[in-house]
Amino acid sequence: MASGPLALLSVLVAIGALAGYALLLRVPAVRNHPEAYVVALALATALAALAVARARRRRWPAWLALAVTILLLAGGAWYNFVLARVPDTPPAFRVGEPAPDFALPDAAGRPVALADYRGRKPVVLVFYRGYW
Amino acid sequence: MAELQGLGAELSEAERAGVEIVAISPDPNERSQKLAEGLGLAYRFLADTDLAVARRYGLVHERGGPEGQDVPRPATIVIDRDGIVRWFTVARNYQVRPDPDDVLRAVRAL
Repeated sequence: MASGPLALLSVLVAIGALAGYALLLRVPAVRNHPEAYVVALALATALAALAVARARRRRWPAWLALAVTILLLAGGAWYNFVLARVPDTPPAFRVGEPAPDFALPDAAGRPVALADYRGRKPVVLVFYRGYW
Repeated sequence: MAELQGLGAELSEAERAGVEIVAISPDPNERSQKLAEGLGLAYRFLADTDLAVARRYGLVHERGGPEGQDVPRPATIVIDRDGIVRWFTVARNYQVRPDPDDVLRAVRAL
């Protein structure tokens, strides 16, 4: 493949990787392997580097593609390996031990205690960050 | 909300099996509840605004939020009828959510 099309392909792969991740976020296989988009961004960068190597006459499209893909790779890698990291300290509960009790208000303001479910129903407790 | 949707679709099966899904976050929960109802998720949303419960569970990510505020570490815990923890997963990367199949398997094993 000539340099120009290769440069374009590299940028499309990079954008496709990010768009694909965002659009397929609900699919566990995609959501649980965010490093896959970093790998795809690295592939895009490699394609752009190849475009630069093959550039003969007009070089700026290849260099531009390389700059864009490197930027996206650096941003994606930083996000995935630094920003999105959660500290791995052990939690304060263990399998086989009672879950710590609590009482919190529900959407109607009524207090809900974990103990309310004792002897009635199992509970799946989901702690999430919230959104903003 | 996308984080909970994936879990919700498969877990609504578990709900029919008689499991209560309780979602806890520092957000005011009317907003969460309205959104959840709009999306057809049968969750109970509880507001842990000062992170006291997240702290009690050892699930606080100090200064982990976008404005440098403390936030909960995403976690899913399966608790049986006797109040005993039977299975859990805690995120090491907040993009990752537990595979709903893993959660369902844990629920069915109760």
